[in-house]
Amino acid sequence: MTARALRLVLTQRTALLVVLLVAVVVTMTTLSGNNYLSAPYSASYMASTLINAVPLAMLALAELLVITSGRGGIDLSVGAIVSLTGMVFGFAYGQWGWPLAPAILLALVLGAACGALNGFLVAHLGFPALIATLATYYAFRSLALVVNDQKPINSQPVQDLYSTATAVALPLVGESFPRVPLGIFTFLVPTALVVWLVLARTTAGRRLYAIGTNDVAARWSGIDVRRTRWSAYVAAGAISGLVAVVTVAQFASARPDSGTSGNGMALPAITIAILGGVAITGGVGRVAGVVLATLLIVWLNAGILLAVPGNSGSQYQLFALGIVLVVAALLNALTQRRYGGTQ
Amino acid sequence: MSAPALARPAPAKPGRVLPFPVTGQEVVLLVVIAVLWAALAVTTPAFATEGSIVPLLVAMTPIALIGIGMTVVIVTGGIDVSVGSIVMVCAVVIAKAMVGSGIPLPAAVALGMAVGALLGLVNGALIAYGRVQAIIITFGTLNLFRFAGLQVFGSATVEGIPGTLAPFGRGDAGRTLGVPHSFVVLLVVAAIAWYYLRHTPGGRHFFAIGGDADAARLAGISVRARIVLGYVVTGLLAGVAACFVIAQGTSSLAASVGSGLELSVIAAVVIGGTSITGGRGSVLGTLLGALLVQTVRTGVTQLGWPSQLSDLFVGVFIIVAVGADLLRQRRRPTGKRTT
Amino acid sequence: MAGAPRLAVSGIAKRFGAVRALRNADLVVDAGSVHALVGENGAGKSTLIKILSGAETADAGTTAFDGQEVTIGSTTAAMALGVATVYQEPQLFADLTVAENVFTGREITRAGRVDWPAQNARVTELLDLIGLPARYATVAVGTLSIAEQQQVSIAKALAGDARLLILDEPSAILTDTEIEVLFGVVRRLAASGVAIVYISHRLDELFTIADVVTVMRDGETIGTWPIAELSVRRIAELMVGGVLDDGPREHRVPDGPARLELRGLGLEGRFHDVDVAVRGGEVVGLYGLVGSGVAEIAASVYGITPATSGTLHVDGAEVRPRSPRHAKALGIGLLPSDRKQQGMFSFQPISFNISAGNLRLLSKARVFVDRRREREVARRMIERLSVKTPSERQPVSAMSGGNAQKVVLARQLVDRPGVLVLAEPTQGVDVGAKDEIHRIIAELADAGTAVLVVTSDLPEAIRISDRLHVVRDGTTTAEFGPGASQVDVLAAAAGAVEVAT
Repeated sequence: MTARALRLVLTQRTALLVVLLVAVVVTMTTLSGNNYLSAPYSASYMASTLINAVPLAMLALAELLVITSGRGGIDLSVGAIVSLTGMVFGFAYGQWGWPLAPAILLALVLGAACGALNGFLVAHLGFPALIATLATYYAFRSLALVVNDQKPINSQPVQDLYSTATAVALPLVGESFPRVPLGIFTFLVPTALVVWLVLARTTAGRRLYAIGTNDVAARWSGIDVRRTRWSAYVAAGAISGLVAVVTVAQFASARPDSGTSGNGMALPAITIAILGGVAITGGVGRVAGVVLATLLIVWLNAGILLAVPGNSGSQYQLFALGIVLVVAALLNALTQRRYGGTQ
Repeated sequence: MSAPALARPAPAKPGRVLPFPVTGQEVVLLVVIAVLWAALAVTTPAFATEGSIVPLLVAMTPIALIGIGMTVVIVTGGIDVSVGSIVMVCAVVIAKAMVGSGIPLPAAVALGMAVGALLGLVNGALIAYGRVQAIIITFGTLNLFRFAGLQVFGSATVEGIPGTLAPFGRGDAGRTLGVPHSFVVLLVVAAIAWYYLRHTPGGRHFFAIGGDADAARLAGISVRARIVLGYVVTGLLAGVAACFVIAQGTSSLAASVGSGLELSVIAAVVIGGTSITGGRGSVLGTLLGALLVQTVRTGVTQLGWPSQLSDLFVGVFIIVAVGADLLRQRRRPTGKRTT
Repeated sequence: MAGAPRLAVSGIAKRFGAVRALRNADLVVDAGSVHALVGENGAGKSTLIKILSGAETADAGTTAFDGQEVTIGSTTAAMALGVATVYQEPQLFADLTVAENVFTGREITRAGRVDWPAQNARVTELLDLIGLPARYATVAVGTLSIAEQQQVSIAKALAGDARLLILDEPSAILTDTEIEVLFGVVRRLAASGVAIVYISHRLDELFTIADVVTVMRDGETIGTWPIAELSVRRIAELMVGGVLDDGPREHRVPDGPARLELRGLGLEGRFHDVDVAVRGGEVVGLYGLVGSGVAEIAASVYGITPATSGTLHVDGAEVRPRSPRHAKALGIGLLPSDRKQQGMFSFQPISFNISAGNLRLLSKARVFVDRRREREVARRMIERLSVKTPSERQPVSAMSGGNAQKVVLARQLVDRPGVLVLAEPTQGVDVGAKDEIHRIIAELADAGTAVLVVTSDLPEAIRISDRLHVVRDGTTTAEFGPGASQVDVLAAAAGAVEVAT
C-alpha cells in the first residue's frame, strides 16, 4: 500500500505537487498560528499573493506548449516579447488613444507575430530552439528598449489600468471567501482553460503531443509536423502578448524592461513548467501540473516572505525555486529508471 | 604481428596532418569584424584610437574567457546557464575578502578560481551522475548560486573595494606598453585551451563525446569524468572572469553583477560556430564571436546610437551565423537527420 | 603458427529469455581465408557474431583462437585477441577526421600530445589498403558518403592488429562499383593472412569473394562447404532446409482493374523501372534483400521520398503523393517498416496511437477530438486485431512487439484505405502474433483492399502473397504465382540468374 502510494507520488507529477502544496500550506499555517511569521499566513494573504501567479503561470503555459512540441523546444524570448508588446500596447492604449479591447487585440497579435518568427526559425529553417529564441530574445529586448528611448509609458489611461489588477470578491460566494486579484479571472483562468481545452480536447492538441513524442512517426501518420510546431511558438507568443497587458496593468506603466530585467521572465517560467512535469524531451506535460507548480512556488514564496522578512526573504525564494527544480529533475531521472517515466 | 602486411608501402606524405586550423566560418567572422572595424574607423574617428580599442579588448575578456569553458561544455553536448550566477558568487566572495582582509592579487585570483571550480563541480556532478539534462540542472543551480551569492552580499552592495585588481582593469595600471593585461591572460588561456582541445587525446575526446556519447564509451573514453571536467573548467574560468569584472568596475559591487551574462556567453560561442548539438566547436571561433559582440556594442555606442540597439545586431548575428551553419550541414552528402 | 585454424568455435548456444537464438553453432575459420556465413533472418548469424565480438557471452560452447582455448567475455577482450567487427551501421564521429575516428580512444601520443604525423602515416597506409585516397585522412567523416564511411569503419577495425575481421553485410548498402572496391580490400586482407568472416544475403557475390561457406538455419550451423561445391540454388536449398512449401493459398482474387499500379516507377539512385499492379482483394508481395531498394519503394508510394520517374496510379487515376498526408488523402495507407522510429508514439496510450493518424475522422467539426468515438474505435480495433491489453489506455511502450505492431497497423485501418502498403509487417514480432497479422492481412484483402506487402522475410512473402515480385538491384526482376517454392524465390532474389555454376 505504501509502495503504491510512493509510486503514485513519484510517477504522477500532479500527485507529488498536491502533496507538496498541502505540505507548504499546512507548514506555513502552523508557523503562522504559533506566531513565527511576521504577518498571518491567512487565506486572504494567500489570495492576494495570487497576483504574482498570473504572469508566471501564463508564461509557464506558453513554455508548456513549446517544450511539449519536442526536438529541444524551448522559448527564451517570452520575457522579451512581454517587454516589446507591452511597449506597443502602451503606445496604443496610452498615447494613441485606442480603446482597451483593440489595444489588447494588438498586443495579442503582435505577440503572436513575434512567436511566428520564432516558429519559422525553428520549425521551417531547423534552428535549435534554444539558439533561435536566444537570438530573438536579444532582438525583441533591444527593440523594446529602443522604441521609446528606454522610457516607460505611464500616461493616465495606463495608470488607470491598475484598477484591473485590484482584488475582487468572488461572485456567488461573495465576501465569505477572500478577495482574489481580478487578473486571475480576466487573464489567467481564461488562458489556462483555453490551453487545457486545446491540449486535452482538440485535434491540434493531439498533433502537438504526437510531434513531441515522435515527430518521425507523426509525419508518417500524416501530421503536418512543421505547421504544428510553428503553431506552438505562435501560441506562446500570443500568450506572452497577453502577459504584457497584465504586466502593464500591474505596474500601471509600460516599462521597456518589464519582462527582461534581472533574470527576466523566461527562466522562472521554464522552471515552473519543468517543475510542473513538462518533459524537456517533449510530448509530456499538462496544464494541471503547471498550474499546481505555480501555486506551489507562489505560496511557498509568500510564506518565505513572512518567515524571512526583508531582503533575504526574496533570496530564500531563489533558493526554494532552485532546490525544488533540481530535486524535481533528479526525481524525474530516477522515476524514469525505476518506473519508466512520469505522467 | 602488425595487422595487414602491406602490399604497397605508404607514400611518405609531407604537409598537413590536420585539417586547416581555421574554419570557413572563422574566416568569415574575421572578415566581418575587419569590415566593421574599417567602417567604424571611417565613420567615427574616435574608434581607431587606443582610447577606444583597449577598453573594447578589456570589456570582451570576461565573456570570452567564460566562453572558452562554455565551448568545451557545448562541444560535449551540454550547456551551462548558471555561469552568470557563478561570476556573481565569485565576485562577491573575492570582493568581501579584499575589503575584509586585504588579500593580494594572486590570492584573489586563486580564491575566484577555487570557488568557481567548486560550483562547476556541483553542476558537473549533478549532470554526469544524476543523468539530468544540463539545461535543467543549470537553471536550478542558477537560482541556488544566486541565493548563495546574495547571502554573502548580505543586503547591501560591497563598498570600498581596494584597487588590488587594477592590473586587470581598464586604466593605466591595467596595461603594459599599451597592451591590456586581462587581454593577455585571455590569449594565454585561449592558447592553452586551443592546444589542449586540438592536440591532446583528452581534448579530442570532448568532441567524440559530443558526437556520439555511446560510441565514445565503447571506444574506452571515460565520458562522465570528461563531462564533469568541462563544467569545472567553465566554473574556474568564470572565477577568473569575476576578477576581471571587479577590476573593470568601480569600488563598489552591486548584487546584480553577472546577471544575464550566460546569454552573452552563449551568444559568443554560437556565433563562433560551435554547434549547440555538440561535437563541433572551436576556441578561436568563440574568441572571434566575443570580439564581434563587443565590437557591435562599442560601435553602436560610438556611433551615438542608443546602446540597447546593439542587442538587436547580436540577435541578427546569431541567426546569420547559425543559419549559415545549418545551410552547410544540409549540403553534406550524409546527414544524420532522419525527419 | 602451427596448422591450427585462426578461429574454432564449437557447440555455441545462447538463449535470450525464452528464445533460443543459438542452439548449436560450430565454425572453423582459417587464416587467410574468406569464410562466408549465410542464413535467413533469425537463423542466428547476428547472435553468433555478437558472441565472437564480445558483445554477448555464450551460454555454452568452446572457443579456440590459433589453437588456444579462450573466453571472449567483453568487447575489449575480443579486441585484445585481434577480433575486429564492422557492423552495418558505421559507429563513427561525424565531425572528427578519418584519422581521428580510426584512433579514438587509443591515440598514438608523444609527450602527451597526439602524434598526428604518426597517426596520419598509419591511416594513410590503411586508406591505401582499403582503396580510399590518402587525403581523406584529414577529412571529416561526416562529409563522406555512406559507402566511404563503411570503408573507414573497416580501416578502424584494421588499425588494431586485426587477425579476424568480421564483416556484417558490408555490401548491403553499397553500389556495384563500391562492392568491387570492397572485394579488393577483402582479398588483399586475406592475402596478408587475416581471417575473414563475411556475412551476406547476396548469395551471388559469394562466388566472387568467398572460399568456404557455412550455412545456418534455426540457430544451428548445418555445415560448411568449399564454394566450388555449391551453387546459388544449392545454398538457397540449404538455407531453407527441408521445409515443405505451402500449397497455393486458398484465396480467390476477384477479377477487376488494378487499384494500385506502379508503372516504371523510379527514384534517382535508389530504384528504377518498378512495375507492380495490385487489384482489389489481392495481396501482392514485394520481396527483396536488404539494400535491394525494396524499402525505398514503399516510402516512395507513401510520399516520403517522392518518385522521380515513372507513374503511380490509384484506381486508374495518376497520383503523385508529396507527403504521407497527401498519400493518406489519396486513399493509401502505410505500415512503416521501422516500428519504433516511424510508427510508435511510445509512451502514449493505445487510443492515442490509433487516433493520431485519423484526427480529422475522429473529430467533431475538425476541431475537437471526439473522445467517445476515439475510445470506441480503439476498443473495436483491439478486439478486431486481438491486441492483448487490459485497456485502450495502456501505453504502447509497455507492450510486446507484436501487440505494438497491431496498434500501429490499426492506425492505418480506421479510415479503410482502398490501398494498403505494409512494410515489414512482422519484423520483431513473435510467432503467434505473426500468424495473427497474416490472418488480418488476408481478411483485409477479402474485404476488397489492395494490399502490397514489402518484406525481406521469405517464408512470409510466399505465405501471404497471391503474387510475388522479387526486387533485386533496385528493380522488379521476377514474378511468382501462389505457392512458389522458397528456393526458387530466394535464388531469384540472391542472383541465380546471372551466376551459372
